[in-house]
Amino acid sequence: MRVPLTWLREYVDFDLPTDELVEAITLYSQEIDDVYRFGVADGEVVVGEVVEFGPHPNADRLSVAKVDLGGREVQIVAGAPNPYSGARIPVVLPGSVMSDGTKLKKAKLRGLESYGMMMSERELGISNEHEGILLLDDSYEVGTPVEEYFPVSETVLDIEVTPNRPDLWGMIGVAREMAAIFRTNFRIPEISFETGGKPTEEYSLRVEDEDLCPRYDLRRVSDIAPGAKAPLKIRRWLHAAGMRPIGAVVDATNFVMMESGQPIHAFDAARISDGIVVRRAFPGEKLTVIDGSVRELDTDMLVIADEERGRAIAGVMGGEDSEVNEATDDLLIEVANFDARNVLETSSRLGLRTDASGRFERGLDPDMVDFAMERVVSLISEYAGGDIAPDTASAYPNPVEPWRVSMRASRAELLLGMPVEKDDAAAILEKLGCEVEDEGGTFSALVPTFRRDLVREADLIEEVGRLVGLDKVPEVLPKTSLPGGLTDMQKRTRLLRHLLADIGLSEAMLYPFGPARWRDDLGLDGEPVRLANPLSREMSELRPSMLPGLLDATARNRAFGAPGNGVFEVGHVFAPNDTPDRAAALRFRSKGEKGERSEEELMGVAEEARVGVILAGTVRPAGWNVPPFEADFFEAKGIVERLVPGAEFEPGGEPFLHPGRSAIVKVGGEDIGWVGEVHPEVAERFDIEGWTVAALELDLSACRPDPEPRFEPFVNVPAVNRDLAVVVGGDVPVGAMLSAIEKSGGEFLTESRVFDVYEGAQVPEGKKSVAFGFVFQGDETLTDEVVNGEMSNIAAKLEEEFGASIRS
Amino acid sequence: MTATEQRIEKLRTEALSAVSDAATTSELEDIRIRFLGRAAELSEIKKSIGSLSPDERKEVGKSSNLASREIENALSEKKNDLASSERESKLRKEAVDVTLPGVPFQRGNLHPTQRIIDDVVDFFVGMGYGVAEGPEVETDYNNFTALNFPEGHPARSEHDTFFLDEGLVMRTHTSPVQVRTMLENEPPVYVVCPGRTYRNDSDPTHTPMFNQIEALVVDRGISLADLKGTLNAMARHVFGEDAKVRLRPSFFPFTEPSVEMDVSWGDGWLELGGAGMVDPNVLEEVGYDTEEYTGFAFGFGPDRMAMVKYGVHDLRMFFEGDLRFLRQF
Repeated sequence: MRVPLTWLREYVDFDLPTDELVEAITLYSQEIDDVYRFGVADGEVVVGEVVEFGPHPNADRLSVAKVDLGGREVQIVAGAPNPYSGARIPVVLPGSVMSDGTKLKKAKLRGLESYGMMMSERELGISNEHEGILLLDDSYEVGTPVEEYFPVSETVLDIEVTPNRPDLWGMIGVAREMAAIFRTNFRIPEISFETGGKPTEEYSLRVEDEDLCPRYDLRRVSDIAPGAKAPLKIRRWLHAAGMRPIGAVVDATNFVMMESGQPIHAFDAARISDGIVVRRAFPGEKLTVIDGSVRELDTDMLVIADEERGRAIAGVMGGEDSEVNEATDDLLIEVANFDARNVLETSSRLGLRTDASGRFERGLDPDMVDFAMERVVSLISEYAGGDIAPDTASAYPNPVEPWRVSMRASRAELLLGMPVEKDDAAAILEKLGCEVEDEGGTFSALVPTFRRDLVREADLIEEVGRLVGLDKVPEVLPKTSLPGGLTDMQKRTRLLRHLLADIGLSEAMLYPFGPARWRDDLGLDGEPVRLANPLSREMSELRPSMLPGLLDATARNRAFGAPGNGVFEVGHVFAPNDTPDRAAALRFRSKGEKGERSEEELMGVAEEARVGVILAGTVRPAGWNVPPFEADFFEAKGIVERLVPGAEFEPGGEPFLHPGRSAIVKVGGEDIGWVGEVHPEVAERFDIEGWTVAALELDLSACRPDPEPRFEPFVNVPAVNRDLAVVVGGDVPVGAMLSAIEKSGGEFLTESRVFDVYEGAQVPEGKKSVAFGFVFQGDETLTDEVVNGEMSNIAAKLEEEFGASIRS
Repeated sequence: MTATEQRIEKLRTEALSAVSDAATTSELEDIRIRFLGRAAELSEIKKSIGSLSPDERKEVGKSSNLASREIENALSEKKNDLASSERESKLRKEAVDVTLPGVPFQRGNLHPTQRIIDDVVDFFVGMGYGVAEGPEVETDYNNFTALNFPEGHPARSEHDTFFLDEGLVMRTHTSPVQVRTMLENEPPVYVVCPGRTYRNDSDPTHTPMFNQIEALVVDRGISLADLKGTLNAMARHVFGEDAKVRLRPSFFPFTEPSVEMDVSWGDGWLELGGAGMVDPNVLEEVGYDTEEYTGFAFGFGPDRMAMVKYGVHDLRMFFEGDLRFLRQF
């Protein structure tokens, strides 16, 4: 809501510099989005009369004028050619400061002195017109400050009105709010007019859909002067408020809308056959609106029609062919109240947002109609002549009455946490328009119909709190004896993130939505979870895996010259879930009713927390003393082993992984994720061809980066270390050998590891050599004989199960 | 002096001069063998003492022992000298260029927003709060209706919601976690809820995904003053001891009174987020006694806090996974 301050002063007096005014409104009422300035910020503008006007001797495009400023004559160079000898024009004098901060000086333009400047409408802040100098009529006295006719300086506050306060979409509402802030008074303009024009009743009025139109009033103004203009003062205010002045009638309706918050529509009465019908649109009904576009309506939309056809989309926009034009001399003025939600839905479905729809959709006061109607017909007849009909047609079957709300002083103090002076609280509510009765500790407020947001005790307490001042609320800390803390899962997640960062990886946070291409490129079957209204096609599906986002980030890093990257993300993945009972699901989603079903079945979306890691290319380049950290399967697997101690690995798995370098990760037989090198073709589709990309994705809840320790007693007897190298078939899984060793290694074997795997010279074709290191520990020092015995058991086991031969 | 004694004297002189000329410990060993070894001349002389006359025996014995002892002393003295200079020269040779970099134990990075979230969460945990989380795909009920945004309410359209299947949305704020928490727990409730949220909006200061931290307290006698005290304590924790919070009126369907909170920053104020006293409709919806219990809630953006704290100007960078960005945190 743009509020020109000179306009606001029509209704309320205030005497504050703009910055203090802005601060006061901000701290006690609403946020100020911006402050605009128009016209001459500081200085003098006087009415001048052109004495002589002719071309500039040294410049084709300039003119030079001799101007009488009321007793003294000055020379002014101008760019515009429209002044003429005898014309009255506004002149801004040297030394004045324009609204954009430029200071006007006496200047020489192409060799001629210029004293000040003749002004266009735009320079004065009247309109955007900048083609010529504003020509004033003879009622402007030469030598008089223009300020005496209309303000030459304007400051406009752009108030960001919260959705609960439609009353602040009108100047009067803002003035009332200011009076409440400063504890002063405000004024509502007095209206008086004579009636006598053609009666409204020559037109019928029928409201068919009262549910969408609680009130509809119609009044006729006949025999107006076609093409009349509103006074300059009014046009100027409308311009400053961000509206385009059009003509007397439309300007009057806009003026009253800005004043009261109530939108008004004027029909050309000559174009209305028989009367007005307020009804839902017919299926497929079309209407050409005033912006020239043809709109197809549906049966949920309300139209204002005559007996022939639709003439306006109710509360949104008028129709083109019943619009007021240069020839209109007979008017039907509509002042109505429409259902807020219906206007919101209609305007958003049609993509038509107007000043009117923006106001209606917030819920207006039907009782505002009376003031707005009287005010607008009186202004129309003032600006354009015309006779106001003696009668108003009105359909208002269920009048709204003020309602009572009680507020306990004690409750106000409890909620606000500060003492509340009873008189002050009552005064505040009265300033806002309530009639207040003090019933000994409880106030009973009769709430005016324009404050539809005040229906409960808490609503009144809010008003009292903000207008007493939120700066007066003291600071205390709540006292709780609850212990607080992170859950075990939250602690593990925190540790996991720190652990991954500590091994040199960078934590990312990526969008969980991406293009349909993601699934194709990964070779995934199955349906995704789709957004119904994505920002773009590139962000239309929820990720089924952490991988595609990490691959895109990797491609980006590569494009910007990184030799590789190690990135991880903790986030959610999404998959569709069956909803066996759709009706139950919809009840749950819209009303929270759970019934017999589980939440999973009702949501229809399975959402799971995961950790994803990607290692690509050269994660860390070589140092002078260390080899590079290159992405490969075993680097990724090592991370899994660190995050999930005791994990099992089953070869193969996901379609987007290298078939020979990937594994399903299991814990206790359950799948908890995967690890592997990304299939080269997949890497290529993600623009990272040529790089080895290793990745992993794990169910976050299965990760145990720091399992609870358990102490094992140990004896002070030296351990014995032994190595064993065997030759086995090239395809024997070493993991199977290790678990066989662990199972059959005997009571003294405490540790076994693989320290070398070798294929090539000295090992027969198709075979490999695998070297194990063992640690044996007994309660007493183990003799060679005992250890040798253990070793031959192991060797025998390996021979028996895997055909291993000892390498000597 | 007998001939034998002359030989001893000669050997002694030779040996001492050889010791003194020796340059390495291994030369010294050779000298020891040559002059004191089993086959050395001096050893031969000692072995032959038995065959000498008693007078001679005494003299030769004495001088040969003296000579041996003197050579041994010289050897051991020389050996110590040589060993320490050899050690020194060995250490000299082992010297490295200490300006070369050490073995890299590379430090990774935590996301800037996560750093803020962890910090704020820890602060609230210290104040006795639990940490609650919820799904990012939410029901219309939890995201709106239960929070007093009835269908058709204009505040709904201000949320630029991403919709999914009928009745499902990407949560537009972390406030549905409030609803879930209150439905599952009886008061008192003290929770902080960090998480990702989504709105259909994109420009340098708005991304379709952003983070929120929400706090909810419901207990007996909770007032706006508790909210103000808590916000100030948090602002001091995050922005430093001089930080101050100011409240100004606002509107949210799920709080009444509603306030906007600003934190002092430089000479001005920085918008931190929205807050207020939990609306009685919300408490009623989850089955709490609105006379007995009151509460406050507030929500703010840790991404914005990170932008201010670390001097980042473009929010979009937070979510691109760009190493040039991530590696700075």
